[in-house]
Amino acid sequence: MRRILGLTLAAMALSAGTAVAGGVSVGAFGGMSLPIVQEDQGNGSLYGVRVPVQIVPLARVEGFWSTSALGDKTVDVGGISQTRTGSDVTTFGVNGILTMGGFYPFAGIGSAKFKRDGVEDTFTSYHFGLGFNIPLAPKFSVDLRGELQAAVKDGTSRKMGNLTLGVSYDILTMP
Amino acid sequence: MRTLRTAVPVLALAALAAAGCFLISGQFVVNHALPTPLTVVSGATLAGTDVDLNTSSSYTDHKDKLKRVEDLALTGDFHNNTPTAATVDVWLVKSAALNLSLAQVQAQGTRLWGPLTVAGNTTESVDWDRSAKLFVGRQALIDEIQGDGHFSLYVIAGGSFNLTLTDGMVIAVIGAAN
Repeated sequence: MRRILGLTLAAMALSAGTAVAGGVSVGAFGGMSLPIVQEDQGNGSLYGVRVPVQIVPLARVEGFWSTSALGDKTVDVGGISQTRTGSDVTTFGVNGILTMGGFYPFAGIGSAKFKRDGVEDTFTSYHFGLGFNIPLAPKFSVDLRGELQAAVKDGTSRKMGNLTLGVSYDILTMP
Repeated sequence: MRTLRTAVPVLALAALAAAGCFLISGQFVVNHALPTPLTVVSGATLAGTDVDLNTSSSYTDHKDKLKRVEDLALTGDFHNNTPTAATVDVWLVKSAALNLSLAQVQAQGTRLWGPLTVAGNTTESVDWDRSAKLFVGRQALIDEIQGDGHFSLYVIAGGSFNLTLTDGMVIAVIGAAN
């Protein structure tokens, strides 16, 4: 996992060097994280930052970091209600993005740490999704994204549907 | 350019393949209610309680697809029936043997959970969050859940004790995948 991340980050750094034909942006985003088939976690909030690097006209790579606070979940066990506080999830990684007009598909890999009272676990995190970019001003744009995050370990995964709205600012643009 | 255009879909497919069938998976809550009230008194032999997770449909439904145990809890209201403070531990015995002596529990079992201090003639309510922090032998219970799912638990305290556990529950969150 660390090797994959290292190689990807190295590739990203190298591509940034060769990709001055593109540009570099910084962005922040926030939204909701919705656990899928997880009986012990509720819906929660999500926010983070990302640094997209346009390496060629049709492709971007971006490093990202995000944190989410999944919601508490109350389950009825044997007629007694028990509530478990949701996990705090910290994720970082790299996405590859195909830029095709406003809409863009993306996929990525990273590391996700789930933390709650008495439990701390790190997973390999896979990301797949679709985004929509709306330019607001010459250097500003808004991104709406829907993403499936699958945090995988030992042959099973914790899955979340993430819906985010973000803003990006181009800090370096090359013709 | 064409290579780059196909890079993202290829990456996505590779990631899917690397992750296996992770999409057909989930986290499920398995629980086992302990007898209530469960009174345990120090003596020559101790009253262990039988825990057979195979009586839980959530466990039997997913047992053959069980990949990992993600969370554990032992919840309930612990009442100290004596005026002296008690330091409560829970031990797990893999063989599911009951009515063991304290020495036998300590020889055959694994300290699973504790210590929980209960002042004299008071009740300590232990919820899921509090309980999760009290596990000291997490792996022993994980091994049992991934094994035959049948074991016994002993609630004990130091010295002479008389405790009542009400609404006791063993809870596990299991990760299962096809």
